[in-house]
Amino acid sequence: MTDPILEVRDLQTHFFTADGVVRAVDGVSFEVYEEEIVGIVGESGAGKSVAAASIMRLVEDPGEVVGGEVSFKGEPIVEFEETEAGTRRPTDAMLSNREMRERIRGREIAIIFQDPMESLNPVFTVGGQLREFIEINRDVGESEAREIAVEMLREVGIPEPRERLDDYPHQFSGGMRQRVLIAMALSCEPSLIIADEPTTALDVTVEGQILEQVADLQEKYGTSFIWVTHDLGVVAEICDRVNVMYLGQMAEQAAVDALFHDTRHPYTDALLDSLPRPDRTVEELRPIAGVMPEAINPPSGCRFHTRCPDAREVCRQVNPDARDVSESDERPHRAACLKHEDVFHEDYWSSPPIDNETDSGFAVGRTDAGGSGDE
Amino acid sequence: MGIYRYTIRRLLQAIPVMLGVITITFFLANAIPGDPVQILLGPSPSQSEIAAIRARYGLNQPLWQRYINYVLGVLQGDLGRSIFYGERVTAKIAERMGPTLLLMSSSYAFAILTAIPLGVISAKRRNKPTDHASRLVSLVGVSTPSFWIGLMFILVFSFHLQVLPSTNLVMPWANPTEIRSAATRLDVLVMSARHLVMPMVSLGTLQMAALTRIERSSMLEVLSEEYVQLARAYGVTESTILRKHAFRNAQLPIITILGLQLTSLIGGAVLIETVFQINGMGKLIVNSIFRQDYPLIMGTTIVFGVVFVVGVIVTDLSYAYIDPRVTYDEVD
Ligand SMILES: Nc1ncnc2c1ncn2[C@@H]1O[C@H](COP(=O)(O)OP(=O)(O)OP(=O)(O)O)[C@@H](O)[C@H]1O
Ligand code: SF4
Ligand SMILES: [Mg+2]
Repeated sequence: MTDPILEVRDLQTHFFTADGVVRAVDGVSFEVYEEEIVGIVGESGAGKSVAAASIMRLVEDPGEVVGGEVSFKGEPIVEFEETEAGTRRPTDAMLSNREMRERIRGREIAIIFQDPMESLNPVFTVGGQLREFIEINRDVGESEAREIAVEMLREVGIPEPRERLDDYPHQFSGGMRQRVLIAMALSCEPSLIIADEPTTALDVTVEGQILEQVADLQEKYGTSFIWVTHDLGVVAEICDRVNVMYLGQMAEQAAVDALFHDTRHPYTDALLDSLPRPDRTVEELRPIAGVMPEAINPPSGCRFHTRCPDAREVCRQVNPDARDVSESDERPHRAACLKHEDVFHEDYWSSPPIDNETDSGFAVGRTDAGGSGDE
Repeated sequence: MGIYRYTIRRLLQAIPVMLGVITITFFLANAIPGDPVQILLGPSPSQSEIAAIRARYGLNQPLWQRYINYVLGVLQGDLGRSIFYGERVTAKIAERMGPTLLLMSSSYAFAILTAIPLGVISAKRRNKPTDHASRLVSLVGVSTPSFWIGLMFILVFSFHLQVLPSTNLVMPWANPTEIRSAATRLDVLVMSARHLVMPMVSLGTLQMAALTRIERSSMLEVLSEEYVQLARAYGVTESTILRKHAFRNAQLPIITILGLQLTSLIGGAVLIETVFQINGMGKLIVNSIFRQDYPLIMGTTIVFGVVFVVGVIVTDLSYAYIDPRVTYDEVD
């Protein structure tokens, strides 16, 4: 395999709020190779959007990327060095804001946001917005940009694209707007597109159509994708590899097949158990117990230990990083769980279990699922 | 629905509103204690003189009769005759309208042209010294009465520094030959500008201050919208974002406020015309109240009412112009 086009190492992005420091992204590593679709999965608040914004260096006040590295095709988007005083500062080599704007954003990495209703400017025509971004990122004139826009709108399945250029966003349905945003990203011909839950707001049929189309277009243009979602079903449908995020950190990272059939982390297990599947009845669905804790005061040790059915005392003390736990050595399969004693060398199996069953959230989750009646 | 039909419908809808205004003002004006005829004729008029004047202005009729006559007159475009001046009310208003419209529009222009840049800069440099300075200016502006600003201006620039005239506003369209020391059109314009600057700033400060605050918060809101973030993500420069992607959307609340502020502008004009002795509508309305000149009170009120109604309609039209989501059919 070639070098990854995007490499994220130990990325940390924190929000400095009046209530304290929100560790939204707290040491996340992953990579994206050419022509692949990489999923980032996690519950609401896991830090997926913040991670995406950090890669584009678009984190807004009071947030700040405070550590780690992001490199894109070998160029340092985020890079820190230690000062004599022991603090961190960005290196001189790190791309300036201007370089980010002129060379990276739109041109190399494009983004599609979650809410198609909010992502387009209501007072400008759809064609005008497409054209502007194409002109900026493809160095073409107005009429050529217009042609590119028409072509791309046709590709993403918008009927009569030429006529629709002069329409305003409110004249498009949600699904159509999301197609416009996908066309927008593709038409700038970036190497990487970050799609932040682009189909979450849409109904299932439309979601299915769009996913299929994106998979086709991805193949045609050879673009890499980071597909952010909280839906493992979506991951199964289009991703090659997947990263499972929990509370600002990575829980498990693997090829999609391996993640589904050879799960190595209790959190992923729980996510899979909560997934509706045709071979399961509603009674067998098991929602994940409890709610994800706040990123402002994350639990000590393994961040999942407050909800993990396999948690033991040692999990309260040691916070495992994601390490390769694959048995065969074809592709890395990383998991951040102390159960893999041979890799983490902590005394997990001899440590006393923590009884999360008595935890109210968990009990409720189980009772609900089991109590819905079995006539 | 076309813009013309929409406008006409809005004007028709304004008729009951205006009728209400006429009714309320009519009875309020007549409820003021005192007698206009006595004010007009001085301390010891003869009975026959009084009777003649009363008959001439229809004051001898019962109130309801006068009300009906008045409304019928208005419907035919007749606002009656001023008791004090003896002239037609319409003529008197036409004479006084110019200075007031000049004052109001220049104050609006002053307010808009200062508030929008101030608000935008404030939003752009949020919580930086420039922002604090502009917020201080707008706080002071909102809480200082316009007539007080006017009086202070006169004190400083007219009495102490003697650089600006405080009375005898010259209209920019005045005939140069009728004004001493003015030979050309340019002279007249310069004189007019020097006269106008103090009343304009005094009257416009409140609007300026209020607009600055709204512009700031409106810009801040739009700048945090996802479509602005998207523009950033596609490499649009911050200045283009400010000028293009955020600016137009942020003006919607400003337009609403401009329409509503017409009332406070009209109220302010009354005070400022008094302070700077400008012979405009504001002074006319105040004097006609003191003189209980019923027809003139009514006439000036109706004209201000119409100005307000037109202002609100213009507001709605410009709203639809800026925001494509607003169509003329939706506005009701
Ligand atoms: N502007 C902000 N100020 C303070 N905290 C923030 C801010 N933006 C995000 N956070 C915090 O960062 C954490 C991660 O948020 P993020 O939006 O990345 O979650 P997510 O995984 O994208 O969730 P979702 O599926 O709901 O989009 C959350 O705890 C959130 O409260
Ligand atoms: S480390 Fe412990 S708490 Fe964390 S996932 Fe593994 S078993 Fe559960
Ligand atoms: Mg998100």
